[in-house]
Amino acid sequence: MDALTRIEGAARRRLAAGAAGKTRVVVQVGHCSQALGANAVAEALRKALKDRPEAQLVLAGCDGACFAAPQVIVSRPGVVSYHSRVTPDEVGHVTQSLSAGDSILPTSDLEGFFNPQHISVMSGCGEINPSDVDEYLAKGGYLSLSRALSQTPQQVISEVLRSGLQGRGGAYFPAARKWQAARSVDTDSRYLVVNAEEGEPGLFKDRHLMEGNPHRLLEGMLIAAYAAGASHCYLYINAEADLSAQRMEGAVDQARGLGLVGVNILDSGFNCQVELRRGAGGYVCGEETTLLNTIEGRRREPRLRPPFPTESGLFARPTVINNVETLANVPHIIGRGAVSFSHVGLDSARGTKLVSLSGAVRRPGLAEVPMGTTLRQLVHDVGGGPPPGRRIGMLAVGGPSSGVLPPSQWDIQLRPGLLHPSGVVMGGGGVTAVEEGVPAIEVVRLLAAYNAAESCGKCTPCREGTPRMVEVLDRLASGQGSPGDLDELSYLAEIVGAASLCGLGQMAGGPINSALHFFGGELSALARTG
Amino acid sequence: MERNELRPLLRRMFPRQRDSLLPALHFLQQELGHLPEWTLQIVGWHLRVPASEVYGAATSYAELRIDPPGDHVIRVCQGVGCRYTGGGQLLGDLIAALGIQPGETTVDGSVTLEETPCGFLCPAAPAAQLDGHWIGRARAEGLIEHIQGTV
Repeated sequence: MDALTRIEGAARRRLAAGAAGKTRVVVQVGHCSQALGANAVAEALRKALKDRPEAQLVLAGCDGACFAAPQVIVSRPGVVSYHSRVTPDEVGHVTQSLSAGDSILPTSDLEGFFNPQHISVMSGCGEINPSDVDEYLAKGGYLSLSRALSQTPQQVISEVLRSGLQGRGGAYFPAARKWQAARSVDTDSRYLVVNAEEGEPGLFKDRHLMEGNPHRLLEGMLIAAYAAGASHCYLYINAEADLSAQRMEGAVDQARGLGLVGVNILDSGFNCQVELRRGAGGYVCGEETTLLNTIEGRRREPRLRPPFPTESGLFARPTVINNVETLANVPHIIGRGAVSFSHVGLDSARGTKLVSLSGAVRRPGLAEVPMGTTLRQLVHDVGGGPPPGRRIGMLAVGGPSSGVLPPSQWDIQLRPGLLHPSGVVMGGGGVTAVEEGVPAIEVVRLLAAYNAAESCGKCTPCREGTPRMVEVLDRLASGQGSPGDLDELSYLAEIVGAASLCGLGQMAGGPINSALHFFGGELSALARTG
Repeated sequence: MERNELRPLLRRMFPRQRDSLLPALHFLQQELGHLPEWTLQIVGWHLRVPASEVYGAATSYAELRIDPPGDHVIRVCQGVGCRYTGGGQLLGDLIAALGIQPGETTVDGSVTLEETPCGFLCPAAPAAQLDGHWIGRARAEGLIEHIQGTV
């Protein structure tokens, strides 16, 4: 019997002894729902269920339907009850549904939110107990790792290359090409660094994955490390993502206890240590060379490239840096094959994308949709359109390193690369709807001020240019502007973009250029009144 | 924590290598609420990193504080997702209620008000953080009641 079969068998036996025949009461506790009282709901349920041995309380992560948070789902064979926006005072409804003969169907909002989605990387989030490796194992967890370890690293790289998996942190570089590049360097040690900084305003996808199904990410990390020839992984988690760190730490400990992390993993001879590191704040920390500086205890500043991290990265060793969402896709590719991944999405961009949808929509939350889904589908089908009586005036897509799009552009499909030549990109997949009536200059000023505050100061054009953009925008907004100001804005955007080392400066002109393109009339009017 | 306790503590907790710098600063901020100058100097001695570089690193990260905050810290999210979904109103209400601007502490030292560019819980807008705990769909009265209840 191989090592995993033995581990999985033991997990199934433990589950059968503990939870068999019980009604499962799942409280979705994640970063968002905690802020909406999910912990208090869980505590109230713990008290209410004390004398109900037939019930098993599970604290899961969230399924992405944040508008309905906190959610509780009660299930036993044949009967499932969904409870949205539960408060601690209302847990009576939940306990009643324990013995009810009929299901409580998901609300039409939940159905509307999930119907257009294609759930793959998010599967298990909101259902599985993230603190219990047995549940992950019983659902086939770590089978992909076991399969990968029975192949050569080169076979694993080839399979992932065939799938077309691109990095999902914003740059969309083929993930396995990094593994290949690091592997091809002759050295005594290599590193895998997992970028879980997720510091781009408007994003909350990686947190959902780590909170909801931490072992899936860990399995993807181990497969990537094996393929790249890395024996040490750093998991770099955002300073504020405490729940993600807590659940990942628990997952790593459990996996280590089962021999899935450490020495001679699954009797394959593959050794891999996993270490958690916390960030300390700052958008630029998600930039991959800055992230390396942060781990090494240096200032948050990007490094010159070349050398690229795959040649000389962390502690001057070849280093692969992959995003959480990227790695969480890997177990699926190895387990079910490249084709199963690549039949979804566009020819030029395979698979699904997690989209963090927020702002003036009825159903904000985290959605998983095929690459190529249009902004209109996202906002109207998934998000349910604007709240009653309101209208959406623009979408801020891709955060502060991107730009804004008016309603006329919403048939644009989500895909890597430029969504619009004025500098709008998908980035990490943040889409924020802004209500009609909010002046474009206000939104652009907010994004530009963010870039100015976050500029690390290493490159002079970015350090000096980004605050200058804000000054000019302020002058326009206060009615002191002149027609020359618009030219100065495009000039600044061009210079800062051309003469900066990292993405922050290179893309800092996006909000300005897209606003000049789409809301030029509004801005010119301000310039004329000055 | 006393000055003479810090070095032995660091010796026990953190290997004398530069990559312990952020973990050590995180630990100190958690213990002390901010990073007094003397702690930066001692961390530098322990890790064999010049104090100027420790200071440089400590001041370049948004989550690390050099100056002591008030007894309570309210941070109001002003990302695009929050600001136009109630966050602008929330900040305005807090400014009016507390009589201070973002970045300031009330005269009695009880409350520090700050803006934050994103709390990463945009669907729960407007969001604010009170003493390290995020609150979604937040209201100014609720936050202030909370502070008054705990003072």
